[in-house]
Amino acid sequence: MLSLNRSIGLNAMRSSNVIRPVFVRSFIKTIPQPPGHIVGDVNDAYVPPPPSKSHGSLHWTAERVVAVGMVPLAVAPLISGTSTLIDSTFSALLLYHVYAGFQSCIIDYIPKRVYGIYHKLVMYLLALGTGVAGYGVYQVETKEGGFAPIITKIFKA
Amino acid sequence: MLARIGLYSRPLCRSVFRNGTAFSAVRGISTVKTTYEHEQELLIAQRKNRPCSPHLTIYTPQITMILSSLHRITGVAMGGAFYAVTIAYAATSILNIPFDSNTLVSYFTELPVTLQYGVKAAMAYPFFFHFGNGLRHLLWDTGKELTIKGVYRTGYIVSAVSVALATYWTFF
Repeated sequence: MLSLNRSIGLNAMRSSNVIRPVFVRSFIKTIPQPPGHIVGDVNDAYVPPPPSKSHGSLHWTAERVVAVGMVPLAVAPLISGTSTLIDSTFSALLLYHVYAGFQSCIIDYIPKRVYGIYHKLVMYLLALGTGVAGYGVYQVETKEGGFAPIITKIFKA
Repeated sequence: MLARIGLYSRPLCRSVFRNGTAFSAVRGISTVKTTYEHEQELLIAQRKNRPCSPHLTIYTPQITMILSSLHRITGVAMGGAFYAVTIAYAATSILNIPFDSNTLVSYFTELPVTLQYGVKAAMAYPFFFHFGNGLRHLLWDTGKELTIKGVYRTGYIVSAVSVALATYWTFF
């Protein structure tokens, strides 16, 4: 019966334990969720989030523009070879692409609703890591002439 | 109270038909005074009895969900590797530790040949898959191929093409 309950998701506690790994449960205090994960009553009006220029359609468009821009820059080294200009442009776009991707993962797996302050902490950590990675990109471009030469070296070694 | 929210309607019906005369004028409805707080408590008690939505394991694996998960997994893996390499370059440059592509290549050449192919495959397969599936996403963003048939067709095309290209780049 227990396994049946688990497989059809009736056992709310058990299923949330499956989602949340052991180390998170033992070291990080998560916010207890209201029954049914519902806040407030049925008559509460919807409160929209405050408008922000960097969210919504502009953010969406920016991500697509970056992704579309990366397509030819990713193909070029495979077909005709690369230059530091191509490589550094690609790396800069890639840095934003990865940053946005990691942000989406944090929003999905370390939500503010459950993790509270930790959500913001991880977001800041990601921003810090992205800054350091940006400096690393500069180092790679100046020292090695880009990532494509490094990968080519490994593939031809 | 319970009758008001429709949880306990049987006695109500019985009382209507009790005297043998249907739709008697006297109906056994009793009203209960309640407060907003009490109703709220009852609502929360009901929410505790609700089942939570089933997790991934309940579904039959389909190409749609598999490719979607692979897209994120390959993206996170390659993004993590990108951050690892760039942060390594940044840290070694700040701390004055000798580190460049020759170090990386010497690590690579010390590996046995099968593992070298493994490393190449670990770079090529995720890259070509994520690249191909990324193009599929950009195609969807223009509103094309957004049907069950289209999603499956493009899914099979992306899988086949990315596996073929990655195999070529890894082994030839």
